[in-house]
Amino acid sequence: MSWSINTACRLPSAHATLVSALLLGVAFGASAQESQLRVPSNAVAGQAASIATTGSGSATLYLNGPSISLKRDVQLGQDLDLTGKELLAAGRYIAVICAGSCSSAGFFVAPGKPASLTFVVHPSRAPVGVNDVISGVAFPFDQFHNLVLTRAPVQFQLTPKNSAPTSHNVQSRDGVAWFRTSSGKSAGPLQVSASLNDLSARRVVQQVASDPCNLRIKGQRTAKGILVETEPVRDCSGNPVPDGTIVTFTAKNGHDVSFVDAPVKQDVARATLLASGPVVVSAASGVASGNELRIGGKE
Amino acid sequence: MGDRQLTRDAWNLSGTVLLYFLFSCALFAADSSPHVTLDANKANPRAVEPLTQRAILRDYKFAWGNIDSALASNSHVPLNGLFAGSANDWLKGVLDGQRQTGVTSRYLNQNHKLEAVFYAPAGDVIELHDTAEYDLEIHDGGKAIHSEHATVRYVVLMTPAADRWIIRQLQAVPQF
Repeated sequence: MSWSINTACRLPSAHATLVSALLLGVAFGASAQESQLRVPSNAVAGQAASIATTGSGSATLYLNGPSISLKRDVQLGQDLDLTGKELLAAGRYIAVICAGSCSSAGFFVAPGKPASLTFVVHPSRAPVGVNDVISGVAFPFDQFHNLVLTRAPVQFQLTPKNSAPTSHNVQSRDGVAWFRTSSGKSAGPLQVSASLNDLSARRVVQQVASDPCNLRIKGQRTAKGILVETEPVRDCSGNPVPDGTIVTFTAKNGHDVSFVDAPVKQDVARATLLASGPVVVSAASGVASGNELRIGGKE
Repeated sequence: MGDRQLTRDAWNLSGTVLLYFLFSCALFAADSSPHVTLDANKANPRAVEPLTQRAILRDYKFAWGNIDSALASNSHVPLNGLFAGSANDWLKGVLDGQRQTGVTSRYLNQNHKLEAVFYAPAGDVIELHDTAEYDLEIHDGGKAIHSEHATVRYVVLMTPAADRWIIRQLQAVPQF
C-alpha cells in the first residue's frame, strides 16, 4: 500500500527515472554485447590507466570519481588514457561513454604505498604511575591522502628521559594501528614514535608528578604570626609536584578555624597564619594530609 | 435534490482523497532523507557511548543528505562544516568538475548500514564501515547518462568537532 502511495507521489520523476533506467538498461545491455568499455582492473591512485573501447566514431567520455568529474571528446576504438592526476583519489569511479546511446562501467582505484603516517597521541601531559593513560593511534596514508588499508607492521617506540626505550609492534588493521600504555614512574618528557618501513612520526608526552604524597610541615611563631612551610612536596614516586600546586594550611584554636591556601613554589609551600593563642596547624593538598603542629600562644 | 447531494458527496470524497494524497506525499518527502543504521557492538578498543552513537547517526545522515543536495545543485554550500580534510577536498573537486562540465548527479533512496570498527581510546576518532545502497543518477544537462542501483562499501573516518561529528575520510572500497 505504502509502495503504491509513494509511487503515486513520485509519479513524474518516477516515470522519468523508470523510463530512463529502462532505456539505459537497454543501452547498457546492447553496449555490454558490443563491449564498448573495458575499464582498468588494477588501477592505483596517482598512476595512469586506460579504458579500452570498441566501435568507431566520436563519442563523449564522462568520468565520475571520488574527487573528479570530467567530460571529454574521444574516438571510439582507441584506448582512452587517464592521467595519474585524474586518478588521485582511491575509490569507485564510473566511466560513461555516450555516442548516441550511453554505456558505462565502474572500477576501483586502490590507494598507493604508505607515504605518511598520521599519528595522534593522547594526552599531551600525563601524571606518572597511572594505568593505560597514554594512547596513540597511527593511520598510514599514501601520498594523495588515501587511507592505506592493506595490513602493515607499525612499530611504536616509547623513550622516557634517561631510560631505555620500549617497543610495541602492531599490525595495522582497517588502516589503523594503535597502542595504549601506562605512564612511567619518573616525571619528564616521554618520546613516542610510530614507524612504518622508512616512515616515522614522533610526539612527546610530558609526564608530570602525580598528586602530592606524605605532606610534612614545620612552623614557628614570628612577630607577625605563625610561619608555616612544607618540606619539599613530592608525589608518591618522589617526583616534585609542579609549582602552583595548592596546599591548604589549617589553624585550629578551640572552635576557631582559619584556612590559608598557598601555592607550591620551588617545591615548598609557605604561609603566615595570624593567630595569637595556642593553635594546632595542619596542611592538606589533594587527597594527602600532613602532620599536625602544636604551637603555643604568644607571650 | 438527490443529484445535488450526490455531487456534494463526490466533492467531499475527492477532497478527502486529495488531502490523503497530499498528506502521503508529505510523508514520503519526510522519508526521502537517507536511512542510516549503526551497529557499534564491534567497536574497539573503546565502547561507543549511546549519546555518541546518536550524534554519529544524526551527523552521518545529514552529511549524506547534503552530499546529494550539493552534487544535484553543484553548490558547495550544503557541504560547509560537515566535512574536513580529504573528504572535503575531494567532494569539492567533484563539484568543481561538475560545474565546469554541466554534469549533475543524484544519490537517491539511500540506505546506509554503518558498523563501527575502531573507536580510539581517547574518543577523538572513529572508523566506520558503511555498506551503502542508493540509486545513482548522472545527468548531463537534462539528459540522464547513467543510472544504477549501487551497493558501495565505504571506509569512513569521523572526528568530533565543536558541536558535531565531521567526516574526514570517505573512501569507497571493493570489499571490507
